[in-house]
Amino acid sequence: MASDRIVERRRIFQQYKADVKERGKPFYPYAMFEDTVMSLVVVCVIVGLAIVWRYTTPGDHHTTDAGWLGKLYDKPADPGTINFVPRPDWYFYFLFYLLRIFKWPNSVLLGTIGIPTICLVLLIAIPFLDVRFERRLLRRPVAMVAAGLVVISMGVLTYKGATAKEALGSELLADVPHWAASEHFSNNATAIAGAKLFAVSGCLNCHTYNGAGGHNLGAPELTAEGAKNKGVAFQIAHLKCPSCVNSGSPMPSFAGLGQANLTKLATFLEASKGGK
Amino acid sequence: MQPHDETPHVPGPSLWPVGFAVGIVVLLVGLIVSVYVAVGGAVIALAFGFLWVRDLTAGTPLAHADEVPAEKPTGVPLPAPEGGPAMPPAERYPRSKFLELSTLGLGGVIGGIVTAPALGFMVIPPFLHQGQKDHDLGPLTDYPEGKYVVATFMSDPSQGEVSRRTAFVRYNGPVGNLPSFTIISNHCAHLGCPVQPNGPLDSAHTKTFGDVTLIPTVSIAGFGCPCHGGQYDTEGNRIAGPPVRALDRYSYSIRNGRLFLGAPFSVSHVVGSGADAKISKWKFSYPGEHVNGIESWMYPIQPPH
Amino acid sequence: MATRRLTRQQQLQQTILYPVDWLEERSGLVGGVKYFLFRKVPGDTNWFQTLGAATLTAFLVQALTGVILAMYYKPDPQNAYSSIQNITNHVWAGWLVRGMHRWGASVFIILMFMHMGRVFLYGAYKYPRELNWIIGVLLLASGLAEGFTGYLLPWDQTAYWATIVGININGTAPFLGPFLAQFLQGGTYINGDTLSRFYSIHMLLIPGAIFALIGLHLYLVVRLGVTSPPWSKEAAGTGPLADPSSNGAGTRSGLVNPRQRKGR
Repeated sequence: MASDRIVERRRIFQQYKADVKERGKPFYPYAMFEDTVMSLVVVCVIVGLAIVWRYTTPGDHHTTDAGWLGKLYDKPADPGTINFVPRPDWYFYFLFYLLRIFKWPNSVLLGTIGIPTICLVLLIAIPFLDVRFERRLLRRPVAMVAAGLVVISMGVLTYKGATAKEALGSELLADVPHWAASEHFSNNATAIAGAKLFAVSGCLNCHTYNGAGGHNLGAPELTAEGAKNKGVAFQIAHLKCPSCVNSGSPMPSFAGLGQANLTKLATFLEASKGGK
Repeated sequence: MQPHDETPHVPGPSLWPVGFAVGIVVLLVGLIVSVYVAVGGAVIALAFGFLWVRDLTAGTPLAHADEVPAEKPTGVPLPAPEGGPAMPPAERYPRSKFLELSTLGLGGVIGGIVTAPALGFMVIPPFLHQGQKDHDLGPLTDYPEGKYVVATFMSDPSQGEVSRRTAFVRYNGPVGNLPSFTIISNHCAHLGCPVQPNGPLDSAHTKTFGDVTLIPTVSIAGFGCPCHGGQYDTEGNRIAGPPVRALDRYSYSIRNGRLFLGAPFSVSHVVGSGADAKISKWKFSYPGEHVNGIESWMYPIQPPH
Repeated sequence: MATRRLTRQQQLQQTILYPVDWLEERSGLVGGVKYFLFRKVPGDTNWFQTLGAATLTAFLVQALTGVILAMYYKPDPQNAYSSIQNITNHVWAGWLVRGMHRWGASVFIILMFMHMGRVFLYGAYKYPRELNWIIGVLLLASGLAEGFTGYLLPWDQTAYWATIVGININGTAPFLGPFLAQFLQGGTYINGDTLSRFYSIHMLLIPGAIFALIGLHLYLVVRLGVTSPPWSKEAAGTGPLADPSSNGAGTRSGLVNPRQRKGR
């Protein structure tokens, strides 16, 4: 049976060559023309992107501000920084988000090496897994479904990777006036001081507030914490010892901030009624 | 060799041109080194040159006047000399296993001689001399008890900024009569992102000396990593997210009332806190590598750090 | 030579063709180029099949702009960032060359994925083109590796930290991971040698591999031929019905509805 297949596929290939020789068109100029047009498009796109990148970056071009296509460059490398969120280039976002999905320590290897390697091996093995002669799309359901799934999942992973936001203290501090405005505590100096503490104390690593913060660790959303009217005293007690108030809570204690700072934080939390 | 009248004269193999060339070389060298050498070279060149020219002109009719005239080609073509062409070429060069194997073998040896040092040059240096010298982090008085200080320093000042590192240093108070410090590295144990202290910094009291900058914190409730959401407590234990172990720590020494930072090591977990902490210490490993538990069998050998 | 006086046009042609013939007689290269240009491809090839040439163009853009950038870029940690600033702000058209290289990388990778998808959907990885597919996957991996190593070169915050994470991801591989990470880093930590290593890998090692693989890839495309689209009616390989003893496998060569073929 196997050698029948081999004989058959050789015959098909020979037939293919004979047909092309007899009825085919010369590569130059017919097909090469299309290739050339496409290449021109590619070159124009690349040049266009380069122009847009440079000319939509505001100000003096030593700036590290972003234009429409992102920054020309970031600040110089600082290996001792404590204030930066690393991200890879966009075409690695799907791998980056895979790492966020596998957030249990025992599964880290799957996300870093396991799944990418398996996918690469499967990719190389495709011609050996699919040995049918069939090329018509509608008669290759497995191939079509697999292709569709791969495209969709890579697209979703890339999108989620692109929109994943992490709480960076310095960026969040800049958001405080915006929070004050939308939650209506701009005239409450204690609440504003509390908001600033909230921004730099890592609360948004786990919690979410007004669209900022980390979603994937399961901590409660705090945008409307004040609407629950738990009271400043409760908030202070909770901040001092979260697992005493909420047994089993993984939240660490913030007692070290001191009573004054805790009061500011609690005032901020109680002032956050979730206003619009 | 029979010179034919129709063919242009082709000089036979001869060493006279070589001698002539040697003579010229000696002459030129002598011009630089010593006149006597140059004279010797000229004599050699003249002698061999004369012999060479004599050979070259030996085939001309003038020289051949008294020789037996060459045989005139007859109308009958002479048969080609037998002995070689009639037999298949393979017989002239019989298969030689020895030559084949030696060619490949020698080729392999040459390849090895050339690539081995080059490959070694590429691969070996990252694994040699990787230790770092101890680094002076300032007098003990710079470190308030119980509060973390964000210390930035260059681990190898001769390399410059590229060797800058950050550590979180906390003085825990004395143990016996020795000061106890907790010094935590700021590289996340998941994939090495820079870990942030979860709390406000007291930037007004920043101290700078040499390449060291010390920024005290007001208070921190732990550390958080912005890349994939890892969270650590104040002793560096992992409390949430993908980090596979606790944050690495540095060993330290005290000399003349100053804190010296030593080699880093990896930690699986810490029990207790501050001066009483029990630290499970392991060989320094890269982020993402488990140091204990079943997954640690995947990393049996650590490269020399 | 029936007439000894050639027309002006013929004389001109002979003059132009003389060097070409000279080269052909001594090397055979002209014949090779002619074979490449005038070989036959199926009559109904599709615009999607231009993606391969587009990818090649993107790579050539990268190679050219990369070589030019290398004339101004300084690959050591003290000077890398300022050399990039210099290229972007002061060197004539430096901003354009740098922008083309940076965005050309993204375009190259997108086109590679699109080309791979097209080849997959056309079933052009099947016999006898399996080797070409494997070479293509290796090219994809090399292209991504180029993107990774090139990302470090500007030596700004993004570059440095994305590379740290990337190296540590490699480090989590079992057994050899830590050695691979230390090899890439050039030491226990990123140091002055790391940038040189990445530069050498980015400029020399991987482009060399890519050029060789592309050469093989194109050679195989010319040797094995281009496929028609799978919906092609004019498809090559659908000649007379197969020998009945082969279980009708020939009618399932998958290019044309078998009923249609009887009518041809």
